[in-house]
Amino acid sequence: MLFFVLKRIAWAILTLLIASWIAFVLVHLSGSTPGGVALGQSATREQVIAYNESVGWYAPWLQQYFAWVGQVLQGNLGVSLIDGRPIGPDIAKRLPVTAALAVLGTLVSAVIGITMGVVAAVRGGAIDRGITAFSGILLSLPAFWVGVLLVYVFAVQLRLLPATGFVPFAVDPQAWARSLVLPVLTIAITSAAGLARQTRASMGEALTQEHMRTLRAVGTPTWRIVYIHALRGASLPILASVAIQFIILFGGSVIIEVLFALPGIGQAMQSAVGSADLPFVQALVLVATLVVVVVNLALEFLNRVLDPKLRAS
Amino acid sequence: MTVDTTSILRIRKPQRRLGGRVLRSPAAMLSLVWLVGLVLASLTSPLWLRYGPLEQDLSAVLQGPSWAHLLGTDELGRDLLSRIVTAAAPTLLIAVITPIVAVLVTVPITLWAARYARAEGFVNRLSEIVLSLPGTVIILAFIAAVGTNMPLVMIAFGLLLFGALYRVFFGQAKSLHQQLYVEAAAVDGVKPMTASMCHVLPNMSTTVIVQFVLLFGAAIGLQAGLAFIGLGPQPPEPTWGGMVQTASKFIFQQPWMMIPTGGVLALTIIAANSLADVLAGGSAMPPSLVSLKRRKTPADAAATAPESGTPSASTGRAQAAASAGDVPADADGALVVQDLVIGVDDGPELVSGVSLRVGRGRVLGLVGESGCGKSVTSYAMLGLLAPGLSVRSGRILWNGTDLVRADEKTLQRVRGHEIAFISQEPTRALDPMFTVGWQLAASVKRLRGVGGREARRIALQLLTDVGIVDPPRVLTSYPHQISGGMAQRVAIALALSGRPKLLIADEPTTALDVTVQAEILGLLRGLIAERDMSIILVTHDLGVVADLCDDVSVMYAGQIVESGAVRDVLVRPEHPYTMALLAADPHAILDFEGTTRLASIPGQVPLPGSWTSGCRFAQRCRFASDECTAAIPLQPRVQGDGGVRCIRRDDVRGRQEEWRRPVAVGGER
Repeated sequence: MLFFVLKRIAWAILTLLIASWIAFVLVHLSGSTPGGVALGQSATREQVIAYNESVGWYAPWLQQYFAWVGQVLQGNLGVSLIDGRPIGPDIAKRLPVTAALAVLGTLVSAVIGITMGVVAAVRGGAIDRGITAFSGILLSLPAFWVGVLLVYVFAVQLRLLPATGFVPFAVDPQAWARSLVLPVLTIAITSAAGLARQTRASMGEALTQEHMRTLRAVGTPTWRIVYIHALRGASLPILASVAIQFIILFGGSVIIEVLFALPGIGQAMQSAVGSADLPFVQALVLVATLVVVVVNLALEFLNRVLDPKLRAS
Repeated sequence: MTVDTTSILRIRKPQRRLGGRVLRSPAAMLSLVWLVGLVLASLTSPLWLRYGPLEQDLSAVLQGPSWAHLLGTDELGRDLLSRIVTAAAPTLLIAVITPIVAVLVTVPITLWAARYARAEGFVNRLSEIVLSLPGTVIILAFIAAVGTNMPLVMIAFGLLLFGALYRVFFGQAKSLHQQLYVEAAAVDGVKPMTASMCHVLPNMSTTVIVQFVLLFGAAIGLQAGLAFIGLGPQPPEPTWGGMVQTASKFIFQQPWMMIPTGGVLALTIIAANSLADVLAGGSAMPPSLVSLKRRKTPADAAATAPESGTPSASTGRAQAAASAGDVPADADGALVVQDLVIGVDDGPELVSGVSLRVGRGRVLGLVGESGCGKSVTSYAMLGLLAPGLSVRSGRILWNGTDLVRADEKTLQRVRGHEIAFISQEPTRALDPMFTVGWQLAASVKRLRGVGGREARRIALQLLTDVGIVDPPRVLTSYPHQISGGMAQRVAIALALSGRPKLLIADEPTTALDVTVQAEILGLLRGLIAERDMSIILVTHDLGVVADLCDDVSVMYAGQIVESGAVRDVLVRPEHPYTMALLAADPHAILDFEGTTRLASIPGQVPLPGSWTSGCRFAQRCRFASDECTAAIPLQPRVQGDGGVRCIRRDDVRGRQEEWRRPVAVGGER
């Protein structure tokens, strides 16, 4: 077990290093330089070069890379080229927004998706075909379009919810919740379908297992077969999809955050990319990778708890 | 055997070729027409569009649909139809880059990894790392580096998909590489990569094509999403995502703009995904092993099932109708099967008019080759036919109740309590997710109505009864931690947990080692002696029948061909098939004409659906003659009680030794 933990953590660190290297290389391949971005168009060539030299931009790549990694390890993610503010605290302020969106979005889409999948697998026939076709359509809808349509219905027409904007939980929990309803609903509509399909397939697979016949033969009632045995058997692949869903939402809720003007890390990524805020881009890649790696690690450990075959070995 | 039912379900649904699948599916055709039509319309748009995509008309901004502007106009009075159509071809053609890159990178690496074990480890790790990269964020960082150059972004996206795609491809490539013909090609000196290209890749083509189409849809979605957040092709160039973004800005003034812009995008991705669904062969559920819905009664089934042509079915039905209502006098503790007909819904018949009788405390052997309908018959006795199979006619009487017509509630009371079942694959008969003790105790609790503590005590006792040496340890074990023989003992303990009066054992020793087989048979023998239980033993091993059974029924191609007391049937067989089975029994190799010969029966059991109205064994029978094409009823045996279904039984009696001679198929015609 200890060996397993160490191996996993080693892989997580390697993944982080590779992601940081990719981010570093991409930033350095771009046409932008820190001076050009920070000083703006009015700066002279000499000023730009002087700025670049002051941040060590012309040093060998490896040296710059390790300098950056060293800073990061000390908890320093650098400063923004646009407003000169430290990046670390900014990201720390944005993380709860994205985290709330990802957690709530994952939960709601998991509940809807797993329910749909179980119903499809268990009822079969026309209900199954209906749910499968419906989820096929949901799966194909662009999230931003669904989001705008929801805004139109709930904010413009019904005036029930705010169209965009965000209120921190600490300021006003009720307004916080209201500001998250439409984003979470958008995520649920577009993400539940994938989970529904995975659940349906895994449940279907579980129900073809030979032990289902044994259970029936000792008179096990249908609800126990479906909700205890089949769902338990399908739980590992379903859990894996839920984790993937969470990862996608955490790293990829750019569109949702931009659409609903939520100040999360996705929105920060969009503006950093748009304004070529190079250190910010680098830092965000690192943070997003860290989240993925941590969620994957958690999933691995959860799997070991949930899968008797892994648990024993 | 489970093989027979599944293979039949497969016969019903032949695999279609990819092109055929698309042609036969209206959804796929529609999708294809939409995608191709969109690109063609877009490429030819300068020829037929009334407005240029950049042509502004500030006197007609934010209009709804009208004759002048079929899909309305945007905030600068540009025609939406023109902009949507113009944007289509670049979007779709650039989106193709992603699946091309992804497939070109992933397929060779997958083949390489599937071929060489050392490469496999490395590539697995690599794919894991790629999979752990936050895709969207990397794409955005990439845009920060190269700008909004869509073809390059699509290439990067294709590369990032390597991790996910490899997961999909690798399992299949690996199992194909382990196919015998691929290994044989390697032995024959075919170069590894040639073997991969010739034998593995073609078999993966469906998966590759399906993934290609799916990634195409994903790439369109990504492009639109990037354009929506302002990181796509820059205005005024029209893009679908950009148009939705504009529409969202003017949603208060003109909500209509949302509909055509997002609608076209959604329809295009729906088209790609549904095309992929059809190419993948639809998403039909695998048939589940147990029925989860209310059981069909035979009346329902008869209404839906097509009339089967075999005479035995109709006579069976007629007899069942004639005898309906009268219950045999000695019904107590006996299981009586009368003229049971089982078929695939909308498909062939699997069991044609089988009648059996197991008296109280008796052991009946049900013998025959794989695919004769033995297992299906035994499943029917507990109402455990897989969905898609149903009893068409006949009765299964248990203590005066007809289990065929019984409702689910009655069956639930019978299952486990009165009739129990042991399957042929012990290691797969137990739920791998729960401990042996949990499963056993849950069953004891329900079947005996006792509390948790008492149930665990009984579970421990049951494990001791079935001869498990260390019951406390086994109780806390998971099924994968115990051996096959031990698993079968546990399965037997599970079957005994409701103190049943009848035990149906479906080839209980087939999957076990020979030494373990003997132990399990010994255990069954002990149970028979101690517990006053009746047993139906489904097997193809005549040695087991001779060892354990009182009576035997021999099945062939869905019919009983011979039945009677074991001492009669095995010693003086009257049906050629029984004789052939005896001659082919490896336990009974006899000296024949100076050499030791183990007979084999030429040919195979005919598949359901291909059964003739005459003797179904005739085409493999060495005694077959022209008379054998006539329908043959089960007639009384000459020696002892029971029946035999052979028109030439008087001619063939006593000639079982002839089966040891190399056979000329076709018989004495």
